[in-house]
Amino acid sequence: MSDIHLGFQKHEALQKIEQEVFERAMDQCISCKVDFILIPGDLFHVNIPEMRVQKFAFAKFRQIYDASIPVYVVYGSHDFSPVSNSVIDLLAEVGYITKVTKATSLDDGRIKLDFLVDEKTGVKIAGLSGLKVGKDREYYEKLDRESLEAESGFKIFLFHGGISEMKTESGMDGENMPLSLLPRNFDYYAGGHMHKFNSQNFDGYPRIVYPGALFAGYHSDLEDNAKGQKRGFVLVEFEDKIKNVEFVEIQNTHYKIIEVNAENRMAESVNKELQDKIREIDPAQQVVIIKVQGEMTKGKTADVDISAIRDELNQKGALVVNINKNQLTSKEYCITEAKGANKEEIENNVFTENIGQLRFEQKNLLGESGVQLAKKLLAGLIQQKLENEKTADYNARIKENAFGVLGIDTDAS
Amino acid sequence: MEEISVVGQVVGGKFGDIIIRQKSGSNLEIGDLMVSEENGSYLILQVFALEYGSQIQDKMQQMMSGVNLEQGIVDAQFFEPEFVNYVLARIKPLARVYKEKGEVKIPKSLPSFFNKLRLITKDDLKFLHKEKDSIFVGYIRSGSKVIKEAEVWLPSEDVFSHHVLIPATTGRGKSNLVKTILWHVLDSNKVGALVLDAHDEYFGRQGVGLKDHTRARENLVYYTPSNPPAGANRLTINLQSIRPEHFEGIVDFSDAQFQAIRSYFWKQRDTWLTTLMLTSPEAAEDRIAAATMGVIQRKLRLILGLVKDEEGHLVSKHEVFDSATKGFTTVDDIVKDIEQGKVVVLDTSRLGDEAELIVGNIIASKLFEKYKAYKATGELTRKPVATVVIEEAPRVIGVDVLTTKNDNIYSTIAKEGRKFKVGLTAITQLSSVIPRSILANMNTKIILGNEMKQEREAIISSASQDLSEDDKNIASLDKGEAIITSIFVPFAMPIKIPLFEDIVREKGVLTQSGKTKVF
Repeated sequence: MSDIHLGFQKHEALQKIEQEVFERAMDQCISCKVDFILIPGDLFHVNIPEMRVQKFAFAKFRQIYDASIPVYVVYGSHDFSPVSNSVIDLLAEVGYITKVTKATSLDDGRIKLDFLVDEKTGVKIAGLSGLKVGKDREYYEKLDRESLEAESGFKIFLFHGGISEMKTESGMDGENMPLSLLPRNFDYYAGGHMHKFNSQNFDGYPRIVYPGALFAGYHSDLEDNAKGQKRGFVLVEFEDKIKNVEFVEIQNTHYKIIEVNAENRMAESVNKELQDKIREIDPAQQVVIIKVQGEMTKGKTADVDISAIRDELNQKGALVVNINKNQLTSKEYCITEAKGANKEEIENNVFTENIGQLRFEQKNLLGESGVQLAKKLLAGLIQQKLENEKTADYNARIKENAFGVLGIDTDAS
Repeated sequence: MEEISVVGQVVGGKFGDIIIRQKSGSNLEIGDLMVSEENGSYLILQVFALEYGSQIQDKMQQMMSGVNLEQGIVDAQFFEPEFVNYVLARIKPLARVYKEKGEVKIPKSLPSFFNKLRLITKDDLKFLHKEKDSIFVGYIRSGSKVIKEAEVWLPSEDVFSHHVLIPATTGRGKSNLVKTILWHVLDSNKVGALVLDAHDEYFGRQGVGLKDHTRARENLVYYTPSNPPAGANRLTINLQSIRPEHFEGIVDFSDAQFQAIRSYFWKQRDTWLTTLMLTSPEAAEDRIAAATMGVIQRKLRLILGLVKDEEGHLVSKHEVFDSATKGFTTVDDIVKDIEQGKVVVLDTSRLGDEAELIVGNIIASKLFEKYKAYKATGELTRKPVATVVIEEAPRVIGVDVLTTKNDNIYSTIAKEGRKFKVGLTAITQLSSVIPRSILANMNTKIILGNEMKQEREAIISSASQDLSEDDKNIASLDKGEAIITSIFVPFAMPIKIPLFEDIVREKGVLTQSGKTKVF
């Protein structure tokens, strides 16, 4: 199983589901008496999650350990720790799980990966953790592939990263790498990072499997779940070759999804459709996903009244209300993307290209003076909190900066 | 001017055909560049013809030769031969360079009569400097002499959006030139390129290639159908990416056959091709005749290399097309890479002619559609110029193709791509079969050697500069020698393209040593 992302959910109800799903999946592994469990990355959403998460994770892994089921893990891009200071390392330290990556650096710059052998089955396992942007590719390019490919016996490779050839949708951008970077001739490739179940074979790569997220690791996963995406893990049967790969679904919760197309409409009409659609559903004990997208002809995107909708759904007993307006824009005012050679240039271009859409009486907010003001204001607002600075002091400092840039006398207000 | 550097003197002629007498011992060559110092400026001139001149009548010379050849004993010589016999060179002015401002203008006057000329030096070519985001194509060549200090750089965005033609016969250095150009395109992200590599020779799967560029990891993407080397992508295109119009102008379908194809597309949408191929001809929909259906299936089977496996699934013999779960995003990924200013090399060496063009068509169509949309939304200014590099260009922009079949994406790009920052880089042995309207649109031509007169005439008549006297010059171009004619260069420039291997040796990736930090 992969991409469990324990600790991702912020809403209490979803946290509960996240924990339950994880526990049920592990219980099922125990009841199936699996020989071992592979987790190719992103077991946790961050490398040191909150104590609540650590507590239930430790408890469950203890049970797995007591059932004599080894768990083989590589870091994912979310729970990676370059200095081995993560909960994964704690779990490995107490012996509940085993980190697979055994990398050594050779004198010629190449990276050698050693196999570990599962005692019960004799399976040879090697793997490489998922790293941050772009770094994976460099590691795979430097991999001593010959030694990995020449190794005899039943071999499994754990990795965390997207494979270009296995993408099913064009929208899945990001740090994908070509399949050819993986060493060949392993019997099974356990992949993490792609959040939808995907199992394929290629020449030299007999079985590459992404079990997908166990519940949700991105906000879009919930939307996919609401649209029917099945979540679970993969049960693999093998002897000297893979015999069967079965996707085992783990139910998570119930969803209702409301989608509204705001293209060429006004905010009022969008609000009305949302209200109508909400009245048609029973949101009690459901995760409600609302998605509004398209370019409105009139009104600001903020005119689509979310708070009223959220209140109404909550009153009717919705478990969670998740509203997505990321793809909602307005012809009246929308920020167009702009490019530049560096940060300053991009900021300047964004302001310059968009300021023409604004209609203010104050002339200093428009044109070149408006751009300069916006840049100054941004520079004031993006300042980081200082070390040991109290939040209240930080807030006051930022406000003061902003008012100063805008020429507003705080005392007068 | 020092007397020692003088190679000739203007003795007659007219504008465009000036006659100079060669100084004895100078040994002028066709293509030599020379300089005439004028008041406040200097003229750059080029030799286009050489002939003998003599103060002695022909009959007398012939008689003297007879004495030498037939008498056998006497070795008769001319008295002061360097005065009486000499070489006359016919030269034409290429450019006038104003010394003060460094401006280069098209010359409109003759060099001063009796002016002494010298061969060009690097100092005369200081106006050739590298500008931002330009591509290197070679060094200025004077005859067969290479002036290494005078590098020729072309403004990449302008050149590629206005189309490039590389006409040459086999063995004159086409591949070397294309690799050299692409190597410099890799330097920045200002130009995206789709390269249909029919011989799998650019990436450098064996030996040196574009993969050895220091920015190859970021800017080069290589797709190959089988056994990709580490880091390369598998070229697999899902059949769902193919639409009926991708066959237009490439495959010979009759009207009835095209109608049948379109009918399947309208009804089945994404799965039209699979459905069409797996339907028994007798069970064809929409009253399509079984014979018509049979012919369509046979043609598609041959072109796309499709066969039906035991389970009744369509599989592609050369693994490029997939009817199942693979290759859904390949086209979008490639287009996205090009939009980011990367060079995408497709190894189409395992594909047949038509299949290669269809693969290119699918991608180029998508790219062109997107760039057109960007123009409509005002985003085009922020996009890099895109170029489609295609070999044996007459396959898609030849007169016979364009008159017997509908327009294809390549001809569309050649005709109107410039407006949308999409250009064609066409490589061909047969420029004469490309319509004049398209040839004239190709505003940069990098002319390599060509021994076929008809081809030279086609190139000369569509050049951006007057090459009417360069017929022999083009015919005598050696391997790696070229003439650039372009609206973006001040005159038709004779160049020597360096060996790609030398460029790689000089600028390629150095093997890193030392340990890598591992976690």
